[in-house]
Amino acid sequence: MGNLSNSEKKKIPRYDDPSQIEMGLVQFNLDKCNGCGLCVKACPGDVIKLQDKKAKLTDRPECIACGDCVAICTERAITLVKSYRYSGRYKTIDQGGLELPRL
Amino acid sequence: MVDQEQKNSETKSIEQLKNVRTETEDVILKRRSVRVYQKKQVPEFMIKRMLEAGRFAPSAGNCMPWKFIVIRDQEIIDGITQTVIETCKMFKGLIDYRYNGSILRKIIANIVIRSKPNDLHPVPFGGVSLIADGRLGLFHNAPTVILIFADERGIGFPTLDCGIAGQNMVLAAHSMGLGTCYVGFPKLAFENSKIWKNRLGIDYPYKFVSSLAVGYPVGKPDGMVARPTHAVDWYEGGMKKTLY
Repeated sequence: MGNLSNSEKKKIPRYDDPSQIEMGLVQFNLDKCNGCGLCVKACPGDVIKLQDKKAKLTDRPECIACGDCVAICTERAITLVKSYRYSGRYKTIDQGGLELPRL
Repeated sequence: MVDQEQKNSETKSIEQLKNVRTETEDVILKRRSVRVYQKKQVPEFMIKRMLEAGRFAPSAGNCMPWKFIVIRDQEIIDGITQTVIETCKMFKGLIDYRYNGSILRKIIANIVIRSKPNDLHPVPFGGVSLIADGRLGLFHNAPTVILIFADERGIGFPTLDCGIAGQNMVLAAHSMGLGTCYVGFPKLAFENSKIWKNRLGIDYPYKFVSSLAVGYPVGKPDGMVARPTHAVDWYEGGMKKTLY
């Protein structure tokens, strides 16, 4: 159970250090992708682009794992692989793995 | 005898509920923030129904500490967007140290983050840059925008009550087939300059909380997605367990 230590409270995570900021990740099933580009438009972080009519993550994807691309995809070609995590002052506390809504 | 029958049917309906979600749950779980809208304007009655859903939201001491402003004039929506973009450009130049930023910018950002920890969480930090670069729209060309202001004199946490009212409106909208998106960045147009406060006649005690972009979505953006679980402490029968 994570409370923040004093040193963590002081430390602002650095973007250029992957051990401090880990962004979300989505995966594309390129066989299913029809290149419609809806995910590109839906993405709030502008991290998806179309290359050769297939969806692809940009070089520095600042994905917040919102899942808007997953939901809008008509071909169900996108899966959410992981959520984002920070260390230091913005440390992600007490989170478990990704789960769909449970009954 | 009648009592027994009633009891049986109650047990049965509870058993059924175990395996099927209610319509309300479906709307809640399938709601996604919509960022691609059709140009077509939303019928007036739908917006009014949303406002009614907001009006009946629970609030501390029933103090209803909110003010809603509906904007359906493209000129005003574009104007607010422009002010926010300009402010984002300024902030980006000052504090965006994320990649290859100068040492000075890093120092400034470190100080500003401490004074505005919520505004400069790493995610909105990226958002400010995206808006400044024109890579993220503000209202995403939504034909209707609802601005939510809190009455600062409200009981307890007026902004929380505004959030509850906002979610009531959002869920009502999605149940009618509309799309919505919470947009917090207009704060930059209301807190850093007087232009829009004057134009829209906003003054004390009203403080900008958030806004809703409303419109018909392009495609079918609503659907269930995975989210991380969060630790929940559960005390029962003298024991504590932690659920995820």
